[in-house]
Amino acid sequence: MKNSKKTLEFRFERTIPAPPGEVFDGWLDPKVPGNPWNMADKLLLNPEVDGFFYWAVKGTPHYGRFTEMERPARIQHTWVSPNTFGEESTVTVSFKKQGEDTLMTLVHSGIPDTDAGRGHEKGWNYFLDVFPGHFGNGSRKEK
Amino acid sequence: MFCMDQLTDVLTAISHPTRRAIIGQLANGPARFLDIAKPHDTALNSVTKHLKMLERAGLIERQRQGREVLISFRGEPLREVAGWVHEYERFWNERLDLFEQHFANKKK
Repeated sequence: MKNSKKTLEFRFERTIPAPPGEVFDGWLDPKVPGNPWNMADKLLLNPEVDGFFYWAVKGTPHYGRFTEMERPARIQHTWVSPNTFGEESTVTVSFKKQGEDTLMTLVHSGIPDTDAGRGHEKGWNYFLDVFPGHFGNGSRKEK
Repeated sequence: MFCMDQLTDVLTAISHPTRRAIIGQLANGPARFLDIAKPHDTALNSVTKHLKMLERAGLIERQRQGREVLISFRGEPLREVAGWVHEYERFWNERLDLFEQHFANKKK
């Protein structure tokens, strides 16, 4: 499969019914369901700036390095897997107080475009930009 | 069930700028054929062909109201395509749904 210089970015938002510090800690705790680490077959996790992770899931290895760690507002790390063709993509998770809740935003950027993604990029971007309301579900907001 | 043939139909349907423009028009609400055709600098016959492709993909539906036929947009096939196009979109949505549910359960 030929690689492409074009990259994809996905952005997700959730409103979590807990304060930012608790949500931040939950995102890094492998015992909490829903964070990536929780579903690991094997996990090595060192969540500090310049700390590394190795995360194997369903036989697929993922590697990364934490580049930002600002409790309780922001976590950023690189993300490398066979699906990124070995190139570094970036995952940025931010936590913003919203009343008693936390607005959690996850942006996964720099994902190399695959053949399938590249072929349909126009349609993909178009409907995600124009029709976010059609993809909404509960507190989910996708852009 | 969303089969690959339908996926192909949807991706083909949204690959043309005129059809995407029609989807944009109909996202604002149902319209009659001539109202859909008006902004496009193309023959009515061509608009008919575009609508047929959108209909085959399940992106529009026609409803008769008295003597008029109203054409409306259906978003569901686009959501199915969105889930297929990139696994990361599906992956993060599943993880975040679970994460959100964990805190909702804790609060109960």
